[in-house]
Amino acid sequence: MNGQTLKQDTSADADFALRIDNVSKSYGGFYALRSVSLNIRRGSIHGLLGENGAGKSTLVGIISGQRSPSEGTIYLNGREVGGSDVRSMEQAGVFLVTQEPMIVDHMSAAENLMLGVWPSKNGFVRWRKLKADAARMLKGSGIDPTIDAGRLSAVARRKLNILRAMFSGGKVIILDEPTAALTVPDRRQLFEFMRQLKDDGVTFIFISHYNDEILEICDAVSVLRDGSFAGGSEDISSMTSEKLSELVLGRGLVLFQRERRTFGSEPVAVSLRNVVASNVHLDKLDIWKGEIIGFTGLPGAGAKELAKAIFGLNRVRSGKIGIDGAEGQRLPQHPKAAFDKGIAYLSDDRRKDGVVGHLSIAENIALSSLDRRAVFGFVEGGKEATLCDGYFTSMGIKAPGAEAVVNTLSGGNQQKVCLGRVLATEPQLLILDEPTRGIDVGVKQDVLRIIDELSNTGVTVIIVSTDTDELVRAVDRVCVFRNGTIHQTVTGSHITTENLRRLAQV
Amino acid sequence: MSTVMTTNPSKVGSEKKSVAMHKAIGWILHNVVWIWLAALILGFGMFNQFFLTVMNMQNITVQATVLGMLGLAVALPLLVAEIDLSIPANLGFSSAIGALAYSDWGLPWFLAMLVGVGVATLIGFFNGLCITKLRMVSLIQTLSMMIILQGALLALTQGKTLTNLSDGYVWIGNASIGGWPVMPLIMLLALVSVGVLLKMTVLGRSIYAVGGNPLASNSAGIRVDRVKIITYTIAGFLAGIAGFLLASWQMAITSNQGSSYLLYAIAAPIIGGVSVFGGRGNVVGILGGVLLLTVIQVGLAITNVPSFYVGMIGGFMIFIAVAIDAIRVRYFA
Repeated sequence: MNGQTLKQDTSADADFALRIDNVSKSYGGFYALRSVSLNIRRGSIHGLLGENGAGKSTLVGIISGQRSPSEGTIYLNGREVGGSDVRSMEQAGVFLVTQEPMIVDHMSAAENLMLGVWPSKNGFVRWRKLKADAARMLKGSGIDPTIDAGRLSAVARRKLNILRAMFSGGKVIILDEPTAALTVPDRRQLFEFMRQLKDDGVTFIFISHYNDEILEICDAVSVLRDGSFAGGSEDISSMTSEKLSELVLGRGLVLFQRERRTFGSEPVAVSLRNVVASNVHLDKLDIWKGEIIGFTGLPGAGAKELAKAIFGLNRVRSGKIGIDGAEGQRLPQHPKAAFDKGIAYLSDDRRKDGVVGHLSIAENIALSSLDRRAVFGFVEGGKEATLCDGYFTSMGIKAPGAEAVVNTLSGGNQQKVCLGRVLATEPQLLILDEPTRGIDVGVKQDVLRIIDELSNTGVTVIIVSTDTDELVRAVDRVCVFRNGTIHQTVTGSHITTENLRRLAQV
Repeated sequence: MSTVMTTNPSKVGSEKKSVAMHKAIGWILHNVVWIWLAALILGFGMFNQFFLTVMNMQNITVQATVLGMLGLAVALPLLVAEIDLSIPANLGFSSAIGALAYSDWGLPWFLAMLVGVGVATLIGFFNGLCITKLRMVSLIQTLSMMIILQGALLALTQGKTLTNLSDGYVWIGNASIGGWPVMPLIMLLALVSVGVLLKMTVLGRSIYAVGGNPLASNSAGIRVDRVKIITYTIAGFLAGIAGFLLASWQMAITSNQGSSYLLYAIAAPIIGGVSVFGGRGNVVGILGGVLLLTVIQVGLAITNVPSFYVGMIGGFMIFIAVAIDAIRVRYFA
C-alpha cells in the first residue's frame, strides 16, 4: 500500500528475514488489520509505531503465531510460513518478548534461560551442561548465572528474556515496549546490548511509543494507523520526530505545553515538615495552591518514596502535613485516611495496583469514592451512574460504554479510568506517579491537558516522573531528589531536559 | 471494508452466522447450572413419579437449606480470594455449644441459640484476624481450625449424640405454615440479604474489588484487611445459623455433626460460578449450585439406585457440571 510495491523476485527475498505480504485480519466484518505489507531486513532493527488500537498488537500476534491472518502471507527467509501457531513460529525462529516478563523469580538466571528446554538425559536435567551453556550465553551481558532471577534489575531481566528467545533459536525477535520502566542509563545499556546482537545477525522488531527511542535505535521504521500501513522509511536518518508523530496521528501533533506560572502571593496549599520514611528524610516543602510540581530522581532517590509516604502507602516514621493552611497533622497511615484528607494518588503501575481488571469502567471509577456517596452503607445507583458517566465523558475514554470491562481497554484508556477514579474523590492534592508511562503520544497530550486544567481550578498537583520531557511540558517547578531528600529545586526557564537529566542523573 | 464485503458476501454472512451461534452456545453454557438442574429434575421425574410431587420439592428445598447457608458462608471468603475450610466444623461445634448452654447452663433456648451463633461468629472473626494480621495462609489456617473444632466437638460430646434440645429450639426445623416448611424461608432470607449486601452496599463492592485486585483496592482507599475480617466474620455467623438449623431439623447433634458437608459446601458455590481466584460470583449462581447438588442427592436416594453406586454416580454428575463450566471459561469467557 501507499506506494510500497511488493518485490516478488527471489533476489530481494534474500535480504529480508521477514516479509509480510498483504496481511489482513477481520473479526466479523471489522478489520483490525487491512492489507498490511512490511519487509524487514535481516540483521536490522525495525521500529513499529502506532497508537493503541492501530493494529500493532494484531500484527505482532500474527507474526508470532498467536493469531492467524484472514488474508495474506508471511515469508520467513523467503519461504512461506503456513502453520500459524506459536510453536511452529518459534521453531521457525520468530519469538515475541512481551512486557510481561516470563521469568520465574526463585530460579537462577541460568535455569531461567533454559526454562522448558533443559538439557537432559533420560529425563534427568544435566546441570553441568546447563550451567556451562548458560555461563557462555550470559557472558558479556553482565548477568551472574547463579543469581536468583528475582534479584536481577529491570534491565537485566529484559536482557535475560531476549537471551532466552535467542537460546531457543530465535532469529527474529519482537520486543514489545522493552524500555518501559527503565531509566535512561538502563535504556542505553539495553540498546548497546541490542546493537551487539544485531551485529551477530539477529533481527529485531522494536515496538515503542517513544519517537526518540525509535530514532535512536532503529534502522527502519513502519507506522500503522487504523489497521493500515500509514507510512515509514527504510532509512531512519530521513525521519524526524515530527514526521513520525504525524504518521502516527494522521495529523500534525500539537505538543502540550503548560504556561508556567510563578507563585508567591497565593496561599500555601500543602506544607510538609520533617518527613522521615523509608528512603526519605525531608525537612521542609511548601507547595502553592494550583501549582504543578515535579518530583524526579533515580529509583530509590526519594521522589517516588516521598509521594507514596504522603499517600500512606509507605510506612511513615514521622512527619506532618498541613493542607490549606491548616495546622500540621500526622501524615496519613493508610490510603483511606489520605483520601479523607483530600489527597489522591495515581499509581505508576495500573495493572498491578491501579485498576481492578474484571470490573467495569463505572465500578472502577466509583471505587475510591464509594463510601462518601453511600447512605447507610448502601450505594445509590442513580447518583453513581451520573458520576461515572461524567468522568467517562470528560476523560474521553474510548469504549463501547461505561459497563465495558476494564481488562478489554487499551493501556491509555485504562490510565484514564484510573485518573477518573482518583478525580472522583475531588482531591485538593493530586499525586500522579508516572502518569503517561506506556501510553501513546496522542493520549499523553490529553492527560497532560486534563492535569493542567485541574490545576487552574485550584487543585495542587505533584507529578512524579523520570520522563524529563514530560516534566518540561507540564510543571511549574521541579524538585530533584538524591539520597532521600531534595537535592535541588529548578524553576522557570531553568527547567530544561538537559538540566534535569544532568541533575537527576536519570 | 465495503469493497471486501461486496466481493465476498457469502464469507461475511457465514461469519456473522457463526458469531451468533457462538453467542448462543455461550449463553447456554453460561446458564449451564440451571439447564443441567432442569434436565436432572425431569430425568429423575421420569424414573420416579414421586420425584415431581410438591411434597418432594418441599423436601428438596428443606434439604437444601443447610447446604445453602454453608454455600453462602464458603462463598464469601472465596470472593475475597481466600478460603475457609473450617465452616462445616464451625457449624457442628457452635451448635453443640448452643445446645449445652441450654441443657447444662440452664439458659433459655433462644439465648442459648444466640450463644452458639455468637461463638460461630467469633470463630469466623478470629480466622479473619489470623489471615490478615498474622498473614497466615488461609488454606492451612482454616484447615487447622477445622481439625481443632472437630476435635473440640468430639471432646464436648464425649462421642455421644446430644438430643436434649428444647421444643422451642427444634420448632423451626420442623414447622410448616399452611403446609409449607419454614426452613427454606431462612435460606431465602439469607440469599437475599447476602445478595443485597454484595450488589448494593459499599462493603459488597469492596469485597469484589479486594478479590479482584487487592493491591489496587488498597491504593484505591479500601481497607483490605478490614474487608477480609468482616467477610470471615459474616461467614462464621452464617455457619452458626446453619448449625442451629441443622440441629433443629435433625433434633440431634452428633459427635461429628456437619463434617459430611465440607466438600459439598465448597463444591456448591464453585459449581455456581464463584471463582476460586476471587472477585467473581453471585448468589443466584450459588443457589443453582446448592439446588443442583441437593437434587442429585435426593434424586439418587429415591430412584432405586443401589446404595453402593450412589456416591459414584453423584460424583460423575458433579464432574460433568464442573467440566462444562470449565469449557465455558476456556472458550466462551
